[in-house]
Amino acid sequence: MDRAVSSKGLIRELGALRRAGEAHLRGRPVDELTGILGSVGRRFLDPDDVLRQEALDRLPDVSGISDRMAAAVLDGMALDWTAERLEALLAIEFEDPKVLDGFRDNHAGREVRALGPGLTVHFGAGNVPGVSVTSIIRSLLVKSAVFLRPGSSDGVLPVLFARGLVEEAPEVGSAVGVAHWGTEREDLTLAALAEADHVIVYGGDDTVARLRAVTPPTTRFLAYHHRLSCGLIGRDVLGDTVEAVSVADEAARAASLFDQRGCVSPHLYFVEEGGAVSPGEWTAMLARGMELWAERLPPGPLDPEEAAAVQQARGAFELRVAAGEGAQAWQGGSLSWTVLFEPELRFEPSCMGRVVRVVPVPDLVQVLAALGTVRARLQTVCLEGAGDRTGSLAEGLARMGASRVTTLAEGPWPPPWWHHDGGGPLVSLVRWTDLEL
Amino acid sequence: MTESVYSTPMRDRLLELFRRETWAPLPEEEFNDLAMDAFRFQVEKNPVYGRFVEARGGSPGSIDRWTDIPMVPTTAFKRLPLVCGDPASAQAVFRTSGTTSPHARGVHYVLDLDLYHGALLPNFRRHLLPEGGKIRILSLVPDAGLVPESSLGHMMKVVAWAMGDGDGGFFAGEQGLPLSGPFQEALARAVREGTPVLVAGTAFAVRHWLDVARESGFRVVLPPGSRVMETGGFKGRSREVPREGLYRELSDTLGVPISRIVNEYGMTEMCSQFYEPVLVDEPAAAGEGAGGLAGRRHVPPPWVRTQVLDPVTLETLGPGGTGILAHFDLANLGSVCPLVEPRDRNPGAVP
Repeated sequence: MDRAVSSKGLIRELGALRRAGEAHLRGRPVDELTGILGSVGRRFLDPDDVLRQEALDRLPDVSGISDRMAAAVLDGMALDWTAERLEALLAIEFEDPKVLDGFRDNHAGREVRALGPGLTVHFGAGNVPGVSVTSIIRSLLVKSAVFLRPGSSDGVLPVLFARGLVEEAPEVGSAVGVAHWGTEREDLTLAALAEADHVIVYGGDDTVARLRAVTPPTTRFLAYHHRLSCGLIGRDVLGDTVEAVSVADEAARAASLFDQRGCVSPHLYFVEEGGAVSPGEWTAMLARGMELWAERLPPGPLDPEEAAAVQQARGAFELRVAAGEGAQAWQGGSLSWTVLFEPELRFEPSCMGRVVRVVPVPDLVQVLAALGTVRARLQTVCLEGAGDRTGSLAEGLARMGASRVTTLAEGPWPPPWWHHDGGGPLVSLVRWTDLEL
Repeated sequence: MTESVYSTPMRDRLLELFRRETWAPLPEEEFNDLAMDAFRFQVEKNPVYGRFVEARGGSPGSIDRWTDIPMVPTTAFKRLPLVCGDPASAQAVFRTSGTTSPHARGVHYVLDLDLYHGALLPNFRRHLLPEGGKIRILSLVPDAGLVPESSLGHMMKVVAWAMGDGDGGFFAGEQGLPLSGPFQEALARAVREGTPVLVAGTAFAVRHWLDVARESGFRVVLPPGSRVMETGGFKGRSREVPREGLYRELSDTLGVPISRIVNEYGMTEMCSQFYEPVLVDEPAAAGEGAGGLAGRRHVPPPWVRTQVLDPVTLETLGPGGTGILAHFDLANLGSVCPLVEPRDRNPGAVP
């Protein structure tokens, strides 16, 4: 956004978005909206489409990721922006998605209606490009006008998506606004928060706390704060080398995608002892996997903070290795990846930058207690090789705060209908009205 | 008995160097000789560091420049005793405040307080009391008795003992919050008596006190010759303030010119400190003329060398580069001399 923009100008713009939403979203059947959003989403998967081309052109520079990572991220994200996936999302979230169009009999002696907010203001983070587009789509599906202030490194996809919407359905597109400003423009932040019916924030604790503190008390506020994810590797997949290598490759992929910046990115793997392949041997396999994935999906440049953090982690760990505590380290050149074998059972979050810890455990069930320190942040747990203990471990993980227990392959790509940090992605956005007459 | 930090000839050479009172950088060869001696001593006395050096492909035999000596990231102090001897025999144990990661605090075992004090006092005097003598010290850093594991608390205790006029005091609680009432009484008394003072405090404490002072409308004009030492201490706290504003307000409230407010930069893992040389150099030499506070630079004492390294390659960067700060502090003879800082600790402030 132009520095010259005033808070008054922003308030006018937000008013226009709200009116466009009232005029062009409220009365539009949800089926039709799904079709429009899906058509725009699909363009990001079409190699011949200019939207995808421009996205791939600009993402590496703006988001600090490699060309191949940009393509992989876009493929994964945009798949969930297609009509088929959005229809499935609506069907799973609302037994009858037409509650978004009008009152519907819900067979409980009443009719119900789900209404989205008039205007939703999103503050994006930008650690993973595309997350903000998913968030915009969710709000549009519940027929809310949308304004997004993207993170500083996430200006590409939401702007292109908004442009695509204008091309596909100008009236729908007129209910979407995207503009960036820095934290120093608190006047704009305050204005945006004051105008919103619903505020959705992605970001670190400081950002969430700062915005929550200045959001009017009657405005709904939904925060996706920092989260931590991890993997549990049981002895059932460590019975032979072939399977263990394949699991290590999946684990390396999960930790390498998004350069480990995603909330779903594993910070560490707890690996069970007692299989034919020991946790130490598996760690060496993981290290080879990290090297392979550094070639398949090269890491983006680290900023000085990230690089310094990786240097600290590596150097401190080398000293522990030297101290003979059973620690071991593997690392790629140019800080591309780091694997640390850590004999002490505790959850130490990674500094990111593809730094993955492996912690051996005599039995996976012992991991549960170690998750106590991260309970408020635990999100995705990739669980492999637990055999018939899967159910009981999942129950334990749920109680320790995990909102998703999944495979290594699915870990990086939650489906559109996942309970995002524990809440339904669309039902969290609507207000229900019961009609009992 | 084998050589220890107390009996090594290095110790006497360093104590002599600290007392020398010449502040120009040491000739490169002299610094290098001392650094290589320290390196050999530490590899021998600290087997963990020795194996670390070996794993990095080095050894005292294969390295002959101090810049090639493998450096220890300060994060390592959180997990290991990095000490050239028995940690249990340390004369002082300092812990980091744990603000970077509340779960783990770095621990610096100081075997030999003579080395610590030897490095501390002349450098402090040089930058805060260059005219010599004693001065009344009003400290917003808590008394060391309240914060026995704080290196800053220890430092102010020793400074007050060595350079204080005996009528100063410590005006902060255990959590670092100022005891504003008694502090203001001490300021008012100094004004009445016409006695110049040295006010020392963390930015955190100073900020809190200024809020109190502003609310009650407290202001003094301290006698000429008064000065302030401000040191970090914002990190991990709930509030941050830009330095310009803090200094302006501090200057207005105490009647001390901004040019007599000195920033100290130190860290628990390091025995030596850095200061802005505003009281000893002409303001222009301290960078004041160019860009106000932004133009100020810290200076190390002659027994410390600082490099700025590329964060990825760890190659030395030229002047003006921004990267990781690495220090070689000879006063750390009993622990480990070559240190790399985490970036969040001191972004941009290149000594």
